[in-house]
Amino acid sequence: MRFLKIAKDDWTRGVEDLKKSFRVFGPVKEKEAYDFRLLDKGVLPDFSFQNTRLSPKSTVYPQSEILFEYTLDESKADHHVHKVPEKDYSPRVILGIRPCDAKAFELVRLNFDTPEYKDPYWLSAYEATTKVGLACDDPCSTCFCTSAGSGPYDEAGLDVLLADRDDHFLAKVLTEKGEAFVSAAGWNTEAPDAEAGFEKLAAEAEGKVPGGVPTDKLADKETVALHGADFWEDVAFSCINCGTCTYLCPTCWCFDIQDEVKGAEGVRMRNWDSCMFPLFTLHGSGHNPRATKVDRVRQRFMHKLKYFVDRYGRGIQCVGCGRCVSSCPVNIDIRRVARLMNEFEPAPEKCPA
Amino acid sequence: MSDYTQKIRETAKKLLSEGKVDAVIGYREGTLPLMAEPCLVKDPEKVDQLVFNSFCGVNLANYLPKRKDRVAVVAKGCDSRNIALHIVENQVDRERLFVIGAPCTRMVDRRKVAAAVGGREISGVSEQDGKLTVSGPGYEQTVDKKDVLQDNCSICIHRNPVLADEMLGEKLPEQEADRYADVREVEAMSPEERFAHFKDLFSECIRCYACRNACPLCYCPTCFVDESKPQWVGKSIDPTDTMTFHFLRAFHCAGRCTDCGACERACPVGIKVRQLTRKLEKDCLGLFDWEAGMNPDVRPPLDTWRPEDPEEFIK
Amino acid sequence: MGVEPGRLHFSWISSAESTKFVDVATKVIEEVRALGPAGQLAKTKAQVA
Ligand code: SF4
Ligand code: SF4
Ligand code: SF4
Ligand code: SF4
Repeated sequence: MRFLKIAKDDWTRGVEDLKKSFRVFGPVKEKEAYDFRLLDKGVLPDFSFQNTRLSPKSTVYPQSEILFEYTLDESKADHHVHKVPEKDYSPRVILGIRPCDAKAFELVRLNFDTPEYKDPYWLSAYEATTKVGLACDDPCSTCFCTSAGSGPYDEAGLDVLLADRDDHFLAKVLTEKGEAFVSAAGWNTEAPDAEAGFEKLAAEAEGKVPGGVPTDKLADKETVALHGADFWEDVAFSCINCGTCTYLCPTCWCFDIQDEVKGAEGVRMRNWDSCMFPLFTLHGSGHNPRATKVDRVRQRFMHKLKYFVDRYGRGIQCVGCGRCVSSCPVNIDIRRVARLMNEFEPAPEKCPA
Repeated sequence: MSDYTQKIRETAKKLLSEGKVDAVIGYREGTLPLMAEPCLVKDPEKVDQLVFNSFCGVNLANYLPKRKDRVAVVAKGCDSRNIALHIVENQVDRERLFVIGAPCTRMVDRRKVAAAVGGREISGVSEQDGKLTVSGPGYEQTVDKKDVLQDNCSICIHRNPVLADEMLGEKLPEQEADRYADVREVEAMSPEERFAHFKDLFSECIRCYACRNACPLCYCPTCFVDESKPQWVGKSIDPTDTMTFHFLRAFHCAGRCTDCGACERACPVGIKVRQLTRKLEKDCLGLFDWEAGMNPDVRPPLDTWRPEDPEEFIK
Repeated sequence: MGVEPGRLHFSWISSAESTKFVDVATKVIEEVRALGPAGQLAKTKAQVA
């Protein structure tokens, strides 16, 4: 780990040099909102954003992705063979990712990179990716990263962390990948005495993040009792079961697999899916184990705030980015639900008379 | 507290304690400024969470189909038209429904407010005399409500409920509005331009279906995009599939859409989906002199025939 | 929507007008054939990642 100082005068040159050896993704403003896009030559990341509307998860995990192609046409030599289309796994960098979103990759990794299963698509893209974070000195009112085990200067999942200091960036280089990144950009002005200042900035920023989303007692709750809590009906009433909260979430990882065939030519693809859709759990038999809206809403929150906590022992499956809070069309708020769950006490059992 | 809020609470309390309804569907204060959350109140002691303000853009008619109980519902002008449609389409039983009509004071688009304050954080909003006072860290700014209305509200010509068992206030004057200026612009395009226009319009769609799910018209048990036997449309974000979803959904709303704006309001990426439904609305008005949901006793043009129906579009 | 002109036809044919149906169908087929394959809203392979 070391600190560098990157003068803003030198920023444009460095970013353009980076593009010679990396595909550079960064936040850009399109129409009304910011999203991560592949930056063409001459396009700089626009750091005037608070956070992007969609999370950067799609840079590694596209919403729709072709897994393989095939032909059933027996006159072709390669019929009935899985052909993985050529994919670009050359080095890429996400420049300006917020620390919460970077941490989210570490949570998603728990699903795609396990001792038993390794998802080749996700992992290849992930391993090709260098994540250069932009610390948050100005968190949104819907942020609660510090309650969710992350923070505005959290280094989890990052290779470099940048702090914006008026005429320069302070860069904390954290990993080998981070070293390769700064050397490709030609940034090498050491800032050996930056550490104390950096820590002070982090502490200041943390103080600004709205807190008060308790999650400390979730692990101790009895799962079945929490599942049966009486607040779910009220929590779920307004939900319209759209996919907004899960599609915008950097930590949601579920997908659905589809074949699309035209004549004898087919592709197998995967598309993001959402536990909020009734179709998500519909069985071939017609039975749906999560048949009602209450079941589905409960599932989303129980997964994020209870099952995940128990399964992995790494806190909640949420990094507190606040996207679902601000974009839910009916204002269902995970902060409120976390509070309800954390404070839940089962009604004392009555003695049988 | 607005007059409406007070009256909604009184009415809800009365209906619930007299056992006239099992539940009241209304809005409660949101956890975010500029938001209100639909809620269901069953206990007369809990009516005080109910509110009515300029952020009640969700269409509550969406929560009525398939309910078996007797409910009261707060309905703005457009919501009441969707209720009338539900009655015509046999989705709700008028006998079991109590409509609390709200002559609508027009709803605010939270994204326009955010833009008006330059994207700064908003921590509080108060409303008085057609003005919103927005405050956030280190600033306070007043914006004219008429500049930040939902698009559909600024051209709304039916703010008064078309049916109600109780009204929250006197009828309000209706405005004259040119409802189709942007539709005419699209009509004037060449087919190629028009196709390019729609392709661009839907290019950012993530197919979350918030627009569909927020719409009271979309109550089909299985939507055509969710069918798998046969599968009509692909599920990826391929542009052809995405556009097919939007075009077909719009056609399913032909002669039914009340322009309540719930779809557009719900879209997380700000797509102006009403462009399609308003073209159909314009055609229904021009061809059949029809506006959806104005009367629960009249059958809609697509399931009736009248001798004076024009047939120019048929060869 | 920008569908090419000539690709969409409407006609009103009574169940008693079988010959009209044949005529219209033939004419529509000829006209649409002349336009060639559809260029819009025609998907061969999904355009996704
Ligand atoms: S919680 Fe909100 S965003 Fe999520 S499915 Fe329900 S309505 Fe949509
Ligand atoms: S659950 Fe909501 S706040 Fe948490 S990471 Fe996902 S989108 Fe962000
Ligand atoms: S299509 Fe949109 S504007 Fe029309 S009724 Fe449905 S939600 Fe309302
Ligand atoms: S709400 Fe918006 S993003 Fe979602 S499906 Fe509708 S148009 Fe697409």
